[in-house]
Amino acid sequence: MGHLSIRWLLSELPNLEKDGVIDGAAAARIRAHYGESAAFSSSRLAVAVFAVFGALLIGSGVILLVAHNWEHLGRGTRAAISMTPLLVSQIFVGWVVLKRFGSTAWREGSATLLALAVAAALALVDQTYHTGGDLESFLWRWALLLAPLPWLLNSTAVVMIFLAALTWWAGAAKVEGSEVLWLWPVAAAVVPHVIQVLRSDRRGLRAANLQWAIALFVCVAAGVSLENRVPGLWIVVYVGLFALMITLGAVNRRDEEGLWRRPLEAVGITGSVVLWLILSFDEPWRHIGWQHVRTTESFHEVASWVDVLLAVGLPLAAIAVMALLLDRRLHRFQLLWCLSVPLVAVVWPVVAATDSEWIGAVALNLLLFGVGIATIGTGLKTQSLATVNLGMVVVATLVVVRFFDSGFGFILKGLAFILVGIGFLVTNFVLSRRLRATVVEDR
Amino acid sequence: MMGRRLRLALFTAVALVQIAVAGGAIVRSELALRTGEAFRFHIQPVDPVDAFRGRYVAIRFAIDRAPVADDLELRPKKRVFVPIEIDADGFAILGQADVDPPASGPYLRLRAGGIYPDEEGNRFVWVTMPFRRYYMDEDLAPKAERAVWGGRRGQREASVSVRVRDGIGVIEELYVDDVPIHQWLAENASESR
Repeated sequence: MGHLSIRWLLSELPNLEKDGVIDGAAAARIRAHYGESAAFSSSRLAVAVFAVFGALLIGSGVILLVAHNWEHLGRGTRAAISMTPLLVSQIFVGWVVLKRFGSTAWREGSATLLALAVAAALALVDQTYHTGGDLESFLWRWALLLAPLPWLLNSTAVVMIFLAALTWWAGAAKVEGSEVLWLWPVAAAVVPHVIQVLRSDRRGLRAANLQWAIALFVCVAAGVSLENRVPGLWIVVYVGLFALMITLGAVNRRDEEGLWRRPLEAVGITGSVVLWLILSFDEPWRHIGWQHVRTTESFHEVASWVDVLLAVGLPLAAIAVMALLLDRRLHRFQLLWCLSVPLVAVVWPVVAATDSEWIGAVALNLLLFGVGIATIGTGLKTQSLATVNLGMVVVATLVVVRFFDSGFGFILKGLAFILVGIGFLVTNFVLSRRLRATVVEDR
Repeated sequence: MMGRRLRLALFTAVALVQIAVAGGAIVRSELALRTGEAFRFHIQPVDPVDAFRGRYVAIRFAIDRAPVADDLELRPKKRVFVPIEIDADGFAILGQADVDPPASGPYLRLRAGGIYPDEEGNRFVWVTMPFRRYYMDEDLAPKAERAVWGGRRGQREASVSVRVRDGIGVIEELYVDDVPIHQWLAENASESR
């Protein structure tokens, strides 16, 4: 049972007892059972975290030793040495599968060690024989050999290593001008593991960690894998992606506390702020759309269509989830942060048709300002200091960015910074005092 | 829930693939080095570093294109088979590239770039050599690079010997002025410091 459900159950016990649903003895037994298991699970978690970090350090150390290049050892010896860490960690993982598979610490730790041992073996063989080509060829082979492990060993740590290697590969390959169409099918190897984790404890910390890894991966991978044949299509893709993250996070939410357990919303909102700020300049809107389709370079046909598919699919998916939220009359705050989808759906075609980039920039400035103010308002209404600050960060950054953008002198710019800073301090001071007052009144 | 035996069996299969990929590279390379024919290629090195595999001397081959027949059409990134020939100085040069391996004689299996006409109107194809790195001790690699450039560009002649078998080439040794690099560095310790 998940941590949150246990906490809920324990908090319900007094009521259940009072209403005569269960007797005191039963309540005590439940408390003893779950109370212990909750304490036990958090200490188990700590052990697992240390196991993973230990394995990471040892594995990385082996890779660094390999990178020194022990030339004088001779080819035969080095070939034998290169396979040793791999074989040892494979046998170790095999033993864990047989004897300790129930333990998160053993499973994650041994899987992490194996993931790095694979890298060490590939690296040392490449080094010994001067083969293996560029860095991206190495990363590609590494990622492929890791792909089955997350599911097979039920390991979230390997998901992170795998996605990192895959993203690195895609970035390196893209820089070299190679095609990275395989990024998505290969990344899909984590899906069985995601199902595994969500089934066992969808509100747990492991599920949260996994969502963080995937959310961050998708953010980077979306940008890397775009072919950019139609200039400016990335705007639609990213607006859709972040809105989808925010809404999906909101739909799945059941009173999760703390930012760490809400990765989709956190990444979606942070990504939106950054994206909107970029789009509040003229530059990204210049020469976008079908009138400026690139013809001078060669493009991959399928990859170009994937771009279009993403640009249509992601916003539509976001709108579908938004409709669901609207229907439930829930999460107005998250819906507010998805206003970019209808806005860009209108503005992007207009800018593309008229080539007037200022329309896009002005629209996004208004969006940032409006959503920022509305966020402050929501925060004040719900008495949430964090929400108020989020809204203030948005408005303040907007002001600062526009001031830098403008031709104002240093004195004006300086004064603007000071005013924004004072605004921050005063709001926080006043609000925290008012919050404290309400708490006292409630008592 | 998957049974323990099934999981172990699947993991064993994955582990064997991991061993095969890493070990297969050892076998292929050893075969080429032990039984392959040796060639010398002119190169132009520089010294970078790889996060996983350490320092290496990056190798740019002096020849990076091969002639092709007038009627040969190739899509970029396709494999081509390029026979190896020897020039008057005893160094290797590339013969006419084709989509099939030659009936006899040594050849390399390479990745093709685009086909272009040269200054005289003869067609050639850009090729990417599969051996582009010579990994060295982290202290020696920068010295090797300086040895080759020697302060004055292109002063010394650099080459690599490559063993070739069944289209696969493996670098055997890096030479500076016809002397193996480690020997050269030992003999010229003062200069390469």
